[in-house]
Amino acid sequence: MRTRSSIALAALLVAVAALVAAGCGGGSSSSSSGGSSGGGSLAADQTITIAWGAEPPSLDPGLATDTTSSNVLLNIMDPLVKLDPKTLKPVPSLAQSWDVKGANVTFHLRHDGKWTNGDPVTAQDFVFSWLRTLSPELGADYAYQFYGIKGAQEYNGCDSKKDDCNALKAKVAISAPDKYTLKVQLTSPQPWFIQQAAHHSFLAVNKKAVTKWGEKWTEPGHIVTDGPFKLAVWKHDAEIDLAKWNGWRDAKDVKLQRANGRIITDGTTAVQSFEAGEVDVNTTGIPPSDIPRLKQKDTYQNYPALGTYYYGINVKNVPLNERRAMAFAIDRKEIIDNIAQADQVPATGFSPKGIPGFSQIKTDYLEPTADVSKAKSLLGKTPNAKKNVTLFVNDSPGHKEIAIAVQAAWKKIGINATIKQMEWAQFLEFLGPPPNKAVDTYRLGWIGDYVDDINFLELWTCKSGNNNTNYCNPKYDALIAKARQTADNAERYKIYGQAEQMLTGPNGDFPIIPIYWYTYVTQEAPSVKDSFNINLLDQFDLSKVRVVS
Amino acid sequence: MTKFIIRRLLWTIPVLLLVILFTFLMMRQIKGNPFRKTERAVPAAIQANLDRKFHLKDPWYEQYANYVKGVFSFDLGPSLVLRNQSVNDIVKSHFPVSLELGAYAFIFAIIVGVPLGVLAALRANKPTDYIAMLVANAGFAVPSFLVATLLIYYFAVKWDVGVPTSGWTTWQSKILPSIALGFFPMAYFARLVRGTMLETLQQDYVRTARAKGLRRQRIVGLHVLRNSLIPVVTAAGPLLGAVITGSFIIETIFAIPGIGRYYVSSVSARDYSVTMGLTILYAVIVIFGNLFVDILYGFLDPRTREQRT
Amino acid sequence: MAVNPQQEEFRERAVVADTGAPGMSTAGAPVRQTSLWRDAWLRYRANKAAVIAAIFFIALVAYVIIVPFVSPYDPYAVDFSQAYAPVSLKHPLGCDQYGRDLFTRVALGGRVSIGIGFAATIAIMGIGIVYGSISGFIGGRLDNGMMRFLDALYGLPYLPFAIIVTQLFRTVNIWVMIIALTIASWFTAARVVRGQIISLKENDYVRAARAVGARWYRILGRHLLPNTLGVLIVFVFLELPGVILGEAFLSFIGLGINPPKASWGSLAQDGRDVYLAHPSMILIPSIAIAWLILSAFFIADGLRDALDPRTRET
Repeated sequence: MRTRSSIALAALLVAVAALVAAGCGGGSSSSSSGGSSGGGSLAADQTITIAWGAEPPSLDPGLATDTTSSNVLLNIMDPLVKLDPKTLKPVPSLAQSWDVKGANVTFHLRHDGKWTNGDPVTAQDFVFSWLRTLSPELGADYAYQFYGIKGAQEYNGCDSKKDDCNALKAKVAISAPDKYTLKVQLTSPQPWFIQQAAHHSFLAVNKKAVTKWGEKWTEPGHIVTDGPFKLAVWKHDAEIDLAKWNGWRDAKDVKLQRANGRIITDGTTAVQSFEAGEVDVNTTGIPPSDIPRLKQKDTYQNYPALGTYYYGINVKNVPLNERRAMAFAIDRKEIIDNIAQADQVPATGFSPKGIPGFSQIKTDYLEPTADVSKAKSLLGKTPNAKKNVTLFVNDSPGHKEIAIAVQAAWKKIGINATIKQMEWAQFLEFLGPPPNKAVDTYRLGWIGDYVDDINFLELWTCKSGNNNTNYCNPKYDALIAKARQTADNAERYKIYGQAEQMLTGPNGDFPIIPIYWYTYVTQEAPSVKDSFNINLLDQFDLSKVRVVS
Repeated sequence: MTKFIIRRLLWTIPVLLLVILFTFLMMRQIKGNPFRKTERAVPAAIQANLDRKFHLKDPWYEQYANYVKGVFSFDLGPSLVLRNQSVNDIVKSHFPVSLELGAYAFIFAIIVGVPLGVLAALRANKPTDYIAMLVANAGFAVPSFLVATLLIYYFAVKWDVGVPTSGWTTWQSKILPSIALGFFPMAYFARLVRGTMLETLQQDYVRTARAKGLRRQRIVGLHVLRNSLIPVVTAAGPLLGAVITGSFIIETIFAIPGIGRYYVSSVSARDYSVTMGLTILYAVIVIFGNLFVDILYGFLDPRTREQRT
Repeated sequence: MAVNPQQEEFRERAVVADTGAPGMSTAGAPVRQTSLWRDAWLRYRANKAAVIAAIFFIALVAYVIIVPFVSPYDPYAVDFSQAYAPVSLKHPLGCDQYGRDLFTRVALGGRVSIGIGFAATIAIMGIGIVYGSISGFIGGRLDNGMMRFLDALYGLPYLPFAIIVTQLFRTVNIWVMIIALTIASWFTAARVVRGQIISLKENDYVRAARAVGARWYRILGRHLLPNTLGVLIVFVFLELPGVILGEAFLSFIGLGINPPKASWGSLAQDGRDVYLAHPSMILIPSIAIAWLILSAFFIADGLRDALDPRTRET
């Protein structure tokens, strides 16, 4: 027993050591899917395989909240408008034109929209769908997208035990005067409403399918759609396949025949899958620490996103000049280059690059790199600076490393930050609202719902449910209220600029410190790299994808 | 024997109730809003709608009573996150996958582990024994995520022998995950069988058989193997339960749509009904797995059979 | 791993049989305590494999305790100029993607993993001893009830249960992991202790002590528990790997200790992200885990051989 076991033990350790040596020596990855890029001649087989990052929680436009559901829905359904990939202005889709008179919006629908069950797509479908999303019984998470419509918020907040919900429903200002005309009355002129209608929650559903199948209407056998692709297969948590629908109004323009989807939630698994040639597009993402290796390859692709990664500050706990000092002490470029590594853009303001009117909105006060001397002098202006602050982050990869870099940066100007990590769901509850007294600084991000700066700037109004900083400035609120009433884009962008100045300008209040503006990172095979694109809102349009050989 | 079975079956009811109570109480304690997935706060009216829809603001005893009623009528409730699916749907589509994975892993463990143990015992203290135990000990000590990663790297990426890096579709895709999951039980069985066989080989009746002049194979096959395998059977029950409930790492790494992966994500997402439903499912597996093994053991071991009657 | 109550006895047998030695694990009538331990120590020392295992184990524990004290590197500071620095004298295990010295981080991670392992195991033993002694010693209806309750708890699957417990807390730190892993796996210890107490209870010397009028705490403390010590010590080294693997798994999927706090599981999780380019990042923490588990098992084997006077028969 003794000698035998000892030899066994020694042998095992030797074997393990050999394994380590082998691992340290080799370790180069296999070649990625090769082939020439570009070209342009259509391949015979117009099929691609996509790696999706999550199982769609729901394919009901009223209930879907995440990007996977959103992307599947936008490809199997027909939205009223789409966003132009370059200018982000709304372009006609199912709505061939629209009129905006103050707070009244009228959409004129095309006459050739069809459902897969043969019914025509009518304005009545939209009335039914939007009212359904607003109904309290459905419990739609995105019902708030419709709150700009007159009567919508009241109907959605109706408690059937106390109020007459049917009466409130009748008061919602959505109507279909005729088969292809959709009229909406808003609570105020909202110039962004047309663009907002590109969001998946504004999609129509087929009344027959919904009433017949109830909760199960989204299953592949039951679902009725009206877009360029059909839901061919949906094996929960494993596979989603979309097949071209030849009955779509513009089917002749769609080259892609089939988009098979594998649901892979783990980043490393998705990367392996891509490198083994099992998927053509990896939308699951890349673990940040693996980005430096993959960046070198031509399959790496990077898209700007409409979102800001920021640190919020509790203005009741941290005085003004200290906040400004903290903002200047941080080296955004270094954080991006070394930690985040996905070519994010250093954020010098809260409104992200890419938002319409950015050139008028941006402040150019903060810098991409740190300015330690300025930070120190700002700090010197505050006699009662708080030397020890808490910094709350959630425990997903990357955030703590960034927090450590920020902690080191603040230490240079004499502020000691204690980092506290929390699990995501608890973190969100802990932050508020109402904001938690124990929090001095915290990390969060904000991704835009639609392409107008109002949905970024309105966060910092006094009553915003997403304002965890205790920042409440009546002048700021007044600016935002004024912007809501300003229909002219140029005028409105000027107001946005003033609001941004109040946040991050030379006399700004700095309730938040912007760190970087997000990007989306994918791996794309050369055969689809040119035609596959993700826009600022993380949407991709499969009807524009062509496989080249 | 039947009295024993019936009594044990009756005992599972209070056990199950206790499990439900534990899980229910704990889930109520876990803070976090299942409807807030991103940083976006849920507007008050919408939160009220959702609470109403899922009865989250009802008094806890009402919720508990409804839930227990549901469990015993096999209705585990709706999912709070996957809005078009009920927990039953989730179980129906994902449990068979985990079961299949667990079964293949187990088969691998038995096919490789038992012969390995037998071989090691028969050639005790010789080189074959060392090598066999080397493999067994490696399986014991090396964590399954490393086994999985190495298997994928060498077989699917580097040498590319025709198995995919992930998924659970073709028969080729089922090979690597089953091996990765089965590695630990294989090691366990190998060590166990070797130990029990060595012990049995020392027993008096074996010596007697040898003295009688019976051929070695007959001895091994007839007496030794059967008696050595009894502890294997008894260990198999809880081991199978452990394999099924611990499969989430393999499922995550290989992107297998099983119940383990769902369990982990439901806890993070605060999908209370899914977490509770799956915990209860796991408990049922463990309880009935143990019961089955107890019964099997009762049949196999003549000594306990004597005791029962 | 949770084991069915009914099979506890046979798990013990199997565990003993592992070493190829016949006989049950219950200690016989105790000889003078001092000489039993001395005998055991001598037997252990003679067992070469067990000694080597003990040396490896102690070396690992020493490494994780000492290195963070003497290391010149800050295990949390990021220094990108050193990212992925290769193995050298300055960095015996190289550096990770943030330029942090791996030799120090693995030691720090070891502190966390082994610390959780030992603390949880001791807590498990503590609860197990209390529960098992009460149940076994008092016997009768109370014993029956307590064991039925334990049966119920056996129905709670180990890792899922530990996961739920960790989520009860705001952030998962070392204490939370210890609590979660303890709560999820103390049942087996209770069973083992109970089994031992019950079988020892019937011994003559216990009856004698009772006849003489010794109080229950004296019987427990002086006669019963010390004789279970042997089995318990072996059990510690068998339970330790299970707890450490449990912690590693939970940290690996992100429900345990999270980076940048190091534990071997979280280091492995970090490492897997970059393993295609830098395989050592996942290999090193995994080897550390394997090292600990193997040496613990061989120590357990050796201890079992050493402490059971009837097994020396090869």
